[in-house]
Amino acid sequence: MIENYLDVLTRELDFDRSLSRCVRQEVADHLWEAVAADRSGDSFEAERQAVANFGDARAIAAEFAVVSLARHSRRAGIAALLVIVSVFVAMKARVAWYAAMQLAISDDLRAAGSLVITIDRYAFLLSVVIGLGGWIYIQSRRIPTAFDPAYRRQLRRFFLLCGAAAAALAVSVISDAVLTALQLSGTGLSAEFLVPILSMAIELVCVGILISRIRGVALRAASTAALTQT
Amino acid sequence: MLKGHLDMIVLAALAAAGSAHGYAVIEEIKRRSGGAFDLPEGTIYPALHRLERAGLLSSRWTTADSGRRRRVYTLTKAGNRALAERHAVWRQFSDAIAGLLAGTRPRENPA
Repeated sequence: MIENYLDVLTRELDFDRSLSRCVRQEVADHLWEAVAADRSGDSFEAERQAVANFGDARAIAAEFAVVSLARHSRRAGIAALLVIVSVFVAMKARVAWYAAMQLAISDDLRAAGSLVITIDRYAFLLSVVIGLGGWIYIQSRRIPTAFDPAYRRQLRRFFLLCGAAAAALAVSVISDAVLTALQLSGTGLSAEFLVPILSMAIELVCVGILISRIRGVALRAASTAALTQT
Repeated sequence: MLKGHLDMIVLAALAAAGSAHGYAVIEEIKRRSGGAFDLPEGTIYPALHRLERAGLLSSRWTTADSGRRRRVYTLTKAGNRALAERHAVWRQFSDAIAGLLAGTRPRENPA
Protein backbone atom coordinates (compact mmCIF):
# COMPACT_ATOMS: atom_id res chain seq x y z
CA MET A 1 0.00 0.00 0.00
CA ILE A 2 2.80 2.41 0.91
CA GLU A 3 4.65 1.65 -2.34
CA ASN A 4 1.46 2.34 -4.33
CA TYR A 5 1.02 5.64 -2.51
CA LEU A 6 4.66 6.58 -3.20
CA ASP A 7 4.20 5.65 -6.88
CA VAL A 8 1.20 7.99 -7.19
CA LEU A 9 2.99 10.82 -5.39
CA THR A 10 6.18 10.57 -7.43
CA ARG A 11 4.29 10.13 -10.73
CA GLU A 12 2.57 13.45 -10.09
CA LEU A 13 5.98 15.06 -9.62
CA ASP A 14 7.53 13.47 -12.71
CA PHE A 15 8.10 16.88 -14.30
CA ASP A 16 10.86 17.43 -11.70
CA ARG A 17 12.82 14.18 -11.47
CA SER A 18 15.25 15.23 -8.73
CA LEU A 19 12.40 16.54 -6.54
CA SER A 20 10.41 13.38 -7.26
CA ARG A 21 13.30 11.13 -6.12
CA CYS A 22 13.98 13.21 -3.03
CA VAL A 23 10.30 13.36 -2.03
CA ARG A 24 9.94 9.60 -2.45
CA GLN A 25 12.83 8.89 -0.06
CA GLU A 26 11.63 11.42 2.48
CA VAL A 27 7.99 10.32 2.44
CA ALA A 28 8.95 6.61 2.47
CA ASP A 29 10.97 7.23 5.62
CA HIS A 30 7.98 8.97 7.21
CA LEU A 31 5.42 6.32 6.29
CA TRP A 32 7.54 3.35 7.35
CA GLU A 33 8.37 5.07 10.63
CA ALA A 34 4.65 5.64 11.20
CA VAL A 35 4.05 1.91 10.54
CA ALA A 36 6.85 0.97 12.95
CA ALA A 37 5.31 3.20 15.64
CA ASP A 38 1.89 1.54 15.26
CA ARG A 39 0.96 -0.66 18.22
CA SER A 40 -2.04 -2.45 16.66
CA GLY A 41 0.02 -5.38 15.40
CA ASP A 42 -1.91 -5.34 12.12
CA SER A 43 0.63 -4.28 9.48
CA PHE A 44 -1.98 -3.79 6.74
CA GLU A 45 -4.07 -1.53 8.98
CA ALA A 46 -0.92 0.32 10.11
CA GLU A 47 0.04 1.04 6.48
CA ARG A 48 -3.51 2.13 5.65
CA GLN A 49 -3.55 4.47 8.64
CA ALA A 50 -0.12 5.92 7.83
CA VAL A 51 -1.20 6.68 4.26
CA ALA A 52 -4.54 8.13 5.39
CA ASN A 53 -2.84 10.40 7.95
CA PHE A 54 -0.38 11.62 5.34
CA GLY A 55 -3.12 13.02 3.12
CA ASP A 56 -4.18 12.92 -0.52
CA ALA A 57 -1.16 12.24 -2.75
CA ARG A 58 -2.24 14.69 -5.48
CA ALA A 59 -2.87 17.49 -2.99
CA ILE A 60 0.55 16.96 -1.39
CA ALA A 61 2.17 16.76 -4.85
CA ALA A 62 0.52 20.06 -5.81
CA GLU A 63 2.09 21.75 -2.76
CA PHE A 64 5.52 20.34 -3.66
CA ALA A 65 4.99 21.46 -7.27
CA VAL A 66 4.51 25.07 -6.17
CA VAL A 67 7.82 25.00 -4.26
CA SER A 68 9.52 23.45 -7.30
CA LEU A 69 8.02 26.05 -9.62
CA ALA A 70 9.23 28.88 -7.39
CA ARG A 71 12.72 27.38 -7.35
CA HIS A 72 12.84 27.00 -11.14
CA SER A 73 11.47 30.46 -11.85
CA ARG A 74 14.22 31.92 -9.63
CA ARG A 75 16.78 29.86 -11.50
CA ALA A 76 15.37 31.13 -14.80
CA GLY A 77 15.90 34.69 -13.51
CA ILE A 78 19.54 33.90 -12.76
CA ALA A 79 19.91 32.13 -16.13
CA ALA A 80 18.61 35.25 -17.91
CA LEU A 81 21.34 37.34 -16.30
CA LEU A 82 24.08 34.78 -17.02
CA VAL A 83 22.97 34.51 -20.65
CA ILE A 84 23.05 38.30 -21.06
CA VAL A 85 26.56 38.46 -19.55
CA SER A 86 27.73 35.60 -21.84
CA VAL A 87 26.37 37.35 -24.93
CA PHE A 88 28.15 40.54 -23.85
CA VAL A 89 31.47 38.70 -23.42
CA ALA A 90 31.12 36.98 -26.83
CA MET A 91 30.26 40.32 -28.43
CA LYS A 92 33.26 42.08 -26.87
CA ALA A 93 35.59 39.22 -27.78
CA ARG A 94 34.49 39.48 -31.43
CA VAL A 95 34.99 43.25 -31.52
CA ALA A 96 38.45 42.85 -29.94
CA TRP A 97 39.27 40.26 -32.60
CA TYR A 98 38.21 42.61 -35.40
CA ALA A 99 40.46 45.31 -33.91
CA ALA A 100 43.38 42.90 -33.60
CA MET A 101 42.88 41.70 -37.18
CA GLN A 102 42.24 45.27 -38.37
CA LEU A 103 39.00 44.18 -39.99
CA ALA A 104 36.47 46.94 -40.72
CA ILE A 105 33.16 47.25 -42.58
CA SER A 106 33.71 48.38 -46.16
CA ASP A 107 32.86 52.03 -46.97
CA ASP A 108 29.78 51.23 -49.08
CA LEU A 109 28.24 49.16 -46.22
CA ARG A 110 29.15 51.57 -43.42
CA ALA A 111 25.80 53.45 -43.38
CA ALA A 112 23.84 50.21 -43.05
CA GLY A 113 26.35 49.02 -40.47
CA SER A 114 25.92 52.07 -38.22
CA LEU A 115 22.11 51.63 -38.26
CA VAL A 116 22.47 47.98 -37.24
CA ILE A 117 24.96 48.94 -34.52
CA THR A 118 22.40 51.39 -33.06
CA ILE A 119 19.67 48.73 -33.06
CA ASP A 120 22.10 46.24 -31.53
CA ARG A 121 23.17 48.61 -28.76
CA TYR A 122 19.67 49.65 -27.70
CA ALA A 123 18.26 46.13 -27.95
CA PHE A 124 21.08 44.83 -25.77
CA LEU A 125 20.66 47.64 -23.22
CA LEU A 126 16.94 46.92 -23.14
CA SER A 127 17.58 43.22 -22.51
CA VAL A 128 19.96 44.10 -19.63
CA VAL A 129 17.45 46.44 -17.98
CA ILE A 130 14.46 44.11 -18.40
CA GLY A 131 16.47 40.98 -17.51
CA LEU A 132 17.75 42.64 -14.35
CA GLY A 133 14.23 43.80 -13.55
CA GLY A 134 12.89 40.25 -13.97
CA TRP A 135 15.59 38.81 -11.73
CA ILE A 136 15.06 41.41 -8.99
CA TYR A 137 11.29 40.93 -9.24
CA ILE A 138 11.32 37.16 -8.81
CA GLN A 139 14.05 37.15 -6.15
CA SER A 140 12.21 39.70 -4.04
CA ARG A 141 8.96 37.67 -3.94
CA ARG A 142 8.19 35.31 -1.08
CA ILE A 143 8.00 31.63 -1.94
CA PRO A 144 4.24 31.02 -2.27
CA THR A 145 2.33 28.45 -0.27
CA ALA A 146 -0.19 27.74 -3.03
CA PHE A 147 -0.80 28.23 -6.75
CA ASP A 148 -3.29 30.96 -5.97
CA PRO A 149 -4.37 33.94 -8.13
CA ALA A 150 -1.71 36.19 -6.51
CA TYR A 151 1.05 33.75 -7.45
CA ARG A 152 -0.37 33.35 -10.95
CA ARG A 153 -0.21 37.14 -11.40
CA GLN A 154 3.34 37.13 -10.10
CA LEU A 155 4.33 34.43 -12.59
CA ARG A 156 2.62 36.25 -15.47
CA ARG A 157 4.64 39.41 -14.71
CA PHE A 158 7.82 37.37 -14.51
CA PHE A 159 7.11 35.63 -17.85
CA LEU A 160 6.40 39.01 -19.40
CA LEU A 161 9.71 40.42 -18.19
CA CYS A 162 11.70 37.32 -19.17
CA GLY A 163 9.98 37.12 -22.55
CA ALA A 164 10.69 40.79 -23.26
CA ALA A 165 14.33 40.38 -22.18
CA ALA A 166 14.69 37.30 -24.42
CA ALA A 167 13.08 39.11 -27.37
CA ALA A 168 15.36 42.16 -26.96
CA LEU A 169 18.38 39.87 -26.65
CA ALA A 170 17.32 37.96 -29.79
CA VAL A 171 17.10 41.26 -31.71
CA SER A 172 20.58 42.16 -30.44
CA VAL A 173 22.00 38.78 -31.48
CA ILE A 174 20.35 38.99 -34.93
CA SER A 175 21.89 42.46 -35.29
CA ASP A 176 25.25 40.97 -34.32
CA ALA A 177 24.81 38.32 -36.99
CA VAL A 178 24.06 40.99 -39.60
CA LEU A 179 27.09 43.01 -38.47
CA THR A 180 29.28 39.92 -38.61
CA ALA A 181 28.07 39.23 -42.15
CA LEU A 182 28.79 42.87 -43.13
CA GLN A 183 32.19 42.73 -41.47
CA LEU A 184 33.25 39.56 -43.19
CA SER A 185 31.69 40.27 -46.58
CA GLY A 186 34.25 40.74 -49.29
CA THR A 187 37.01 39.03 -47.33
CA GLY A 188 38.19 35.61 -48.41
CA LEU A 189 37.35 32.51 -46.40
CA SER A 190 40.11 31.90 -43.85
CA ALA A 191 40.88 30.79 -40.32
CA GLU A 192 40.28 34.39 -39.21
CA PHE A 193 36.57 33.69 -39.61
CA LEU A 194 36.68 31.14 -36.84
CA VAL A 195 36.54 33.58 -33.88
CA PRO A 196 33.60 35.70 -35.17
CA ILE A 197 31.65 32.60 -36.20
CA LEU A 198 32.36 30.86 -32.91
CA SER A 199 31.33 33.93 -30.90
CA MET A 200 28.12 34.19 -32.98
CA ALA A 201 27.42 30.51 -32.32
CA ILE A 202 27.87 31.15 -28.56
CA GLU A 203 25.40 34.04 -28.71
CA LEU A 204 22.83 31.95 -30.56
CA VAL A 205 23.21 29.06 -28.10
CA CYS A 206 22.82 31.52 -25.19
CA VAL A 207 19.53 32.86 -26.58
CA GLY A 208 18.39 29.26 -27.18
CA ILE A 209 19.20 28.37 -23.55
CA LEU A 210 17.23 31.36 -22.27
CA ILE A 211 14.18 30.54 -24.39
CA SER A 212 14.36 26.89 -23.34
CA ARG A 213 14.55 27.92 -19.65
CA ILE A 214 11.52 30.17 -19.96
CA ARG A 215 9.64 27.42 -21.77
CA GLY A 216 10.63 24.94 -19.03
CA VAL A 217 9.18 27.19 -16.32
CA ALA A 218 6.03 27.70 -18.40
CA LEU A 219 5.59 23.91 -18.71
CA ARG A 220 6.10 23.47 -14.96
CA ALA A 221 3.54 26.20 -14.33
CA ALA A 222 1.08 24.32 -16.58
CA SER A 223 1.75 21.03 -14.73
CA THR A 224 1.30 22.75 -11.37
CA ALA A 225 -1.95 24.36 -12.54
CA ALA A 226 -3.23 20.96 -13.72
CA LEU A 227 -2.35 19.38 -10.37
CA THR A 228 -4.02 22.17 -8.45
CA GLN A 229 -7.23 22.06 -10.47
CA THR A 230 -7.91 18.38 -9.91
CA MET B 1 -6.60 29.54 9.40
CA LEU B 2 -4.17 26.91 10.62
CA LYS B 3 -2.47 26.74 7.23
CA GLY B 4 -1.72 30.46 7.45
CA HIS B 5 0.36 29.76 10.54
CA LEU B 6 1.94 26.53 9.34
CA ASP B 7 5.37 28.11 8.80
CA MET B 8 5.44 29.46 12.36
CA ILE B 9 4.28 26.10 13.74
CA VAL B 10 7.02 24.23 11.87
CA LEU B 11 9.70 26.76 12.86
CA ALA B 12 8.60 26.58 16.51
CA ALA B 13 8.62 22.77 16.51
CA LEU B 14 12.09 22.70 15.00
CA ALA B 15 13.35 25.30 17.45
CA ALA B 16 12.13 23.07 20.27
CA ALA B 17 13.33 19.78 18.79
CA GLY B 18 16.69 20.96 17.47
CA SER B 19 17.67 19.03 14.33
CA ALA B 20 14.80 16.75 13.33
CA HIS B 21 13.36 14.84 10.38
CA GLY B 22 9.81 15.40 9.15
CA TYR B 23 8.24 12.65 11.26
CA ALA B 24 9.89 14.00 14.43
CA VAL B 25 8.73 17.54 13.57
CA ILE B 26 5.15 16.28 13.28
CA GLU B 27 5.43 14.37 16.56
CA GLU B 28 6.80 17.49 18.24
CA ILE B 29 3.88 19.57 16.91
CA LYS B 30 1.39 16.97 18.19
CA ARG B 31 3.09 16.74 21.57
CA ARG B 32 3.44 20.46 22.18
CA SER B 33 -0.04 21.34 20.91
CA GLY B 34 -1.72 18.50 22.76
CA GLY B 35 -2.87 17.11 19.40
CA ALA B 36 -4.89 20.27 18.67
CA PHE B 37 -3.70 20.63 15.08
CA ASP B 38 -5.33 18.21 12.74
CA LEU B 39 -3.46 18.80 9.48
CA PRO B 40 -2.68 16.02 7.01
CA GLU B 41 0.87 15.04 7.97
CA GLY B 42 2.00 15.35 4.36
CA THR B 43 1.47 19.11 4.31
CA ILE B 44 4.45 19.54 6.66
CA TYR B 45 6.91 18.36 3.99
CA PRO B 46 6.21 20.99 1.30
CA ALA B 47 6.39 23.56 4.13
CA LEU B 48 9.81 22.20 5.16
CA HIS B 49 11.01 22.43 1.54
CA ARG B 50 9.63 25.95 1.17
CA LEU B 51 11.24 27.13 4.42
CA GLU B 52 14.54 25.61 3.37
CA ARG B 53 14.31 27.36 0.00
CA ALA B 54 13.67 30.63 1.86
CA GLY B 55 16.87 30.06 3.86
CA LEU B 56 15.08 29.60 7.18
CA LEU B 57 16.06 25.91 7.45
CA SER B 58 18.98 23.83 6.31
CA SER B 59 18.88 20.10 5.69
CA ARG B 60 21.19 17.15 5.38
CA TRP B 61 20.66 13.50 4.47
CA THR B 62 21.58 10.86 7.03
CA THR B 63 20.96 7.14 7.37
CA ALA B 64 18.40 6.08 9.97
CA ASP B 65 18.85 2.99 12.20
CA SER B 66 16.40 1.25 9.85
CA GLY B 67 18.87 1.80 7.00
CA ARG B 68 16.52 4.23 5.22
CA ARG B 69 17.75 7.59 3.94
CA ARG B 70 16.50 10.35 6.22
CA ARG B 71 16.42 14.10 5.67
CA VAL B 72 17.15 16.07 8.83
CA TYR B 73 16.28 19.76 9.13
CA THR B 74 17.83 22.44 11.32
CA LEU B 75 16.79 26.02 11.93
CA THR B 76 19.25 28.55 10.47
CA LYS B 77 20.06 31.93 12.03
CA ALA B 78 17.61 33.52 9.61
CA GLY B 79 15.03 30.93 10.71
CA ASN B 80 15.57 31.83 14.36
CA ARG B 81 15.14 35.51 13.54
CA ALA B 82 11.99 34.80 11.51
CA LEU B 83 10.55 32.75 14.38
CA ALA B 84 11.26 35.55 16.86
CA GLU B 85 9.54 38.07 14.56
CA ARG B 86 6.48 35.86 14.04
CA HIS B 87 6.35 35.13 17.76
CA ALA B 88 6.26 38.88 18.52
CA VAL B 89 3.53 39.49 15.93
CA TRP B 90 1.51 36.55 17.24
CA ARG B 91 1.82 37.75 20.86
CA GLN B 92 0.67 41.24 19.84
CA PHE B 93 -2.31 39.77 17.98
CA SER B 94 -3.16 37.39 20.80
CA ASP B 95 -2.96 40.19 23.43
CA ALA B 96 -5.18 42.39 21.28
CA ILE B 97 -7.81 39.66 20.92
CA ALA B 98 -7.58 38.82 24.64
CA GLY B 99 -8.14 42.50 25.45
CA LEU B 100 -11.10 42.62 23.12
CA LEU B 101 -12.70 39.55 24.62
CA ALA B 102 -11.96 40.44 28.25
CA GLY B 103 -15.12 40.84 30.28
CA THR B 104 -17.37 39.63 27.48
CA ARG B 105 -19.22 36.37 27.17
CA PRO B 106 -21.29 35.03 24.28
CA ARG B 107 -25.05 35.54 24.59
CA GLU B 108 -26.93 32.32 25.10
CA ASN B 109 -29.69 33.08 22.56
CA PRO B 110 -28.43 35.54 19.97
CA ALA B 111 -31.23 37.39 18.15
